[in-house]
Amino acid sequence: MHSTLICLIWLFCTMCTAKVHTFHWEIAWKLDNPDGMKERQVIAINNKTPLPTIRVKTNDRVIIHATNKLGNQNTSIHFHGLFQNGSNSMDGPEFVTQCPIAPGSTYIYDFKVPNQEGTYWYHSHSGPQYGDGLRGMFIIEPENVDAYPFKFDDKITLSLTDWYHKEAKEIKKTFMSRFNPTGAEPIPQNALFNYTRNATWHVAPNTKYFIQIANMGMFVSQYLFIENHNFTIVEVDGVYVKPQMTDSIYIAVGQRYGVLIETGDFHENFRFLNVIDKPMLDTKPAELQYISTNWIVYDDKKPLPPALENNEGSFDSFLQNIDPFDDFNLKPLTKSPLMEAADYTINLDFKMENLGDGVTYALFNNFSYVAPKVPTLMTLLSSGKLASNDKIYGTNTNTFVLQHNEVIDIILNNMDPGKHPFHLHGHTFQVIERSPPSSDDNPITYDPNNHAEFPLNPVIRDTVMVNANGYVVLRFCANNPGVWFFHCHVDWHLEQGLAIVLVEAPFEVQKSQSLSSAQLHVCKQSRVPTSGNAAGRYGKSEKDWLNLEGENIQPQPLPPGFTLKGYIAFFLCAAFACWGLLSIYKYGIEDVAADDGEEMIMKLESLLEENGGLGPEDTRPLTGEDSNA
Amino acid sequence: MANKVFNVQIFFVVFRESLEAVIIVSVLLAFLKQGLGGPTQDREVYKKLVKQVWFGAIGGFILCLILGCAFIGAFYSLKNDVWGKSEDIWEGVFCIIATVMISIMGIAMLRVNKMQEKWRIKLAQAILKDKPENGSRIGHWAKKYAMFILPFITVLREGLEAIVFVGGVGLTSPASSFPLPVFVGLLCGIAVGFILYYSGSTTSLQVFLVISTCILYLIAAGLFSRGVWFFENNAFNKKTGGDASENGSGPGSYDISKSVWHVNCCNPQIDNGWDIFNAILGWQNSATYGSVISYNVYWIAVIVVLFLMLYEEQHGHLPFTKNFRLRNLNPSYYLKGKKKEELNEHQKEVLFDEIKNKKFGSTVSENSVVPERQSLTENRAD
Repeated sequence: MHSTLICLIWLFCTMCTAKVHTFHWEIAWKLDNPDGMKERQVIAINNKTPLPTIRVKTNDRVIIHATNKLGNQNTSIHFHGLFQNGSNSMDGPEFVTQCPIAPGSTYIYDFKVPNQEGTYWYHSHSGPQYGDGLRGMFIIEPENVDAYPFKFDDKITLSLTDWYHKEAKEIKKTFMSRFNPTGAEPIPQNALFNYTRNATWHVAPNTKYFIQIANMGMFVSQYLFIENHNFTIVEVDGVYVKPQMTDSIYIAVGQRYGVLIETGDFHENFRFLNVIDKPMLDTKPAELQYISTNWIVYDDKKPLPPALENNEGSFDSFLQNIDPFDDFNLKPLTKSPLMEAADYTINLDFKMENLGDGVTYALFNNFSYVAPKVPTLMTLLSSGKLASNDKIYGTNTNTFVLQHNEVIDIILNNMDPGKHPFHLHGHTFQVIERSPPSSDDNPITYDPNNHAEFPLNPVIRDTVMVNANGYVVLRFCANNPGVWFFHCHVDWHLEQGLAIVLVEAPFEVQKSQSLSSAQLHVCKQSRVPTSGNAAGRYGKSEKDWLNLEGENIQPQPLPPGFTLKGYIAFFLCAAFACWGLLSIYKYGIEDVAADDGEEMIMKLESLLEENGGLGPEDTRPLTGEDSNA
Repeated sequence: MANKVFNVQIFFVVFRESLEAVIIVSVLLAFLKQGLGGPTQDREVYKKLVKQVWFGAIGGFILCLILGCAFIGAFYSLKNDVWGKSEDIWEGVFCIIATVMISIMGIAMLRVNKMQEKWRIKLAQAILKDKPENGSRIGHWAKKYAMFILPFITVLREGLEAIVFVGGVGLTSPASSFPLPVFVGLLCGIAVGFILYYSGSTTSLQVFLVISTCILYLIAAGLFSRGVWFFENNAFNKKTGGDASENGSGPGSYDISKSVWHVNCCNPQIDNGWDIFNAILGWQNSATYGSVISYNVYWIAVIVVLFLMLYEEQHGHLPFTKNFRLRNLNPSYYLKGKKKEELNEHQKEVLFDEIKNKKFGSTVSENSVVPERQSLTENRAD
């Protein structure tokens, strides 16, 4: 009785103090030049760049009226890392939880952020659009500053991205074409540090700063390093960890780090480097600045140390001097022991392959993710009892149906020579094992009978790197009913189909969630059906729902050898060659025939002469040449 | 690509040219025999003149070899500098050049008798073309050794032609693939020439010539197809920004939109043995529309041309025309005034009669040539 009252009071207080943040965002193009090298069209919100940082407190409510004023593209917004518990339709990915927001449409994102604190970000989830600039930070602070599990004097945010000079849609066309048969990812032109380069950060001496860092890039991971200073990692992907000191940070796209820096009693200025992970690039242009120099400034009057050079060996020598802490070994601050053995295991074997159109696609168990005709959440909501039948979600969407509150393991075998950051929507997961990298001819796959001991207190995050030709094992609890996307956060690979869909506790979703009329209206404006299976079919009987004719599927595989076309061509070539040889023979033999003709005449003549066939009157010779005989 | 040791195209070119050289010698010897070989005539002079012909021919031949080696050597060292990159587009161009050359000379091999006839007329005219050179020492010397100079110059000219052809068809091969086919080609050409001379044109020889021409044309068709394939490969490589075919034979090494068939093995550029298959039959493990269609187009062209030539031989003119011959289609026919040079049957008869009457050796048996000559002409004038 007593405790219930306290609970109720606490709940009431929370609700009282919980704020509602409302935003009206007009998403449109704007001319800008963040790296100072090329002016281009970028995406702005309310005509401002960089995009605003959303700052809310835990338990707050956020309402964003997102209006698409781009004119030539659809859009959507995903809030990376937020659980969206009970608000699956606010998660953001097109054709997974919502319809694309067509030009002129407005989608209202309305959700709460309970049980979460830390560094998050938001970005477009419509194709490679976020590379054009639709990305910004989303900070969830605790109730008050004392509620942080660590002390600091000041805090700032730091966003890292890669930057391209061309528009993402254009880049995608040349990337996903048969003239890029190796699937080489497009090389960025620069790396940005808080949307600029050569930045300066003025600091006071002997101060503890809390820096909230997010890698909002499309492709490359980055290293962070401050000369003469160390970092203390205190938060990772919105999960507080036991403070861990390190000299540098390795941050992959999608990941966030909360770090503490203690400034000293310096009277000079130091370099603050953000460095592109060079080995991730397939070609390494000489003019690309892998090492970008910014400065931490103690004293304005003192000169800045010169920017580091970018020679042939600069990156390698940089790498030799740093030792970033392996995030696998971080320990969550709150006690969260290893979950017990999984109830359901998802095995994913990933490789890249050229399909029948000559383009390289990313395949999970030989299937590349192809977006269905009806967003998966809407298939779920309209299919009644069939919502737990994974077939209705399509044969080419890599959909797995999960039961409520089951412990799920994802075993991801990466049979590709690249490293990949994988991200799960709606959840954080325990990273219970990660293999070291290996070579192409000897990829390491997970062996359930022969693997390292799972850590007792594994690190928990929502975006994790898997090593080249290695594997990673993730574990989480399916306690968040909804449709959640799991995909590589290198956006180019997502375009190639490196994704799966988790339909988690479908009946719970049907009971507690529904779509508003405004959301359905957005679907009407982008001409996307809101009920039916992956092919858009529905009906009264199960047979109707299982009929997937017309669904979107990946291209056929490359023909393995001779096809009918090949046989016909080969036969034709052989036939013409034979005919040609025959005519050569005919022509050649003619020469003999002609000779024979002459010979015959001479023979005939001599025969006639001998036998007196030629009478005295016929002394004229038959051939002219023997007139002297 | 092409065989590193034996370039088949070079073999056939040398074969054909040496065959022609032997024919020249045999025609000259035949004339001599006709004129001087009979029992009633001067044996000494005959032998001397025969020797002259042989020396002339062999001399011309040796000079050719030297010049040939020098030319090819210089050509190759230059080629490596200028076209060191060996780009696909150059490969394609060289293939097409080789095809054209081979196609043109291949036909001639089937008409050895025609070749003989042509040389009889040419040489006869050359012999009878003596201009009276009064008192000129060189002119005197030239007439004395006319039977040396004529084969020497003719063989030299034919040989230089051969060198140019060899250079043309050998453009696609490394220098190491030259010596062997040249040697074997010479051997075969001389052998066939001898057989021709001693036995006359027989059916079995003709069959041999037909078979060798068939092989030659198979090679030429393959070359043509390969040339087109190189052009398409070059276009694909440019678009992918690198040498896609260096990625092996697997997916992504070719343009799927232009592919007619593709197998991941048997690549003539990479796999051993398949390059010979490619050299003789034009096999590609990754065939394109271009390579397949060009192969068929080549054969169709050959079939049509052969048909027209056969028709003209049998009827004297091209189908659906009157008195229009293939020779009329050659632009140099009109330019060089070859029309005037054509001899009809009667003129040919007169020519060969004159040869028979020509006193070979009248210049050799006497020290001073001029009086003899003058007396002859004086006699005539009287």
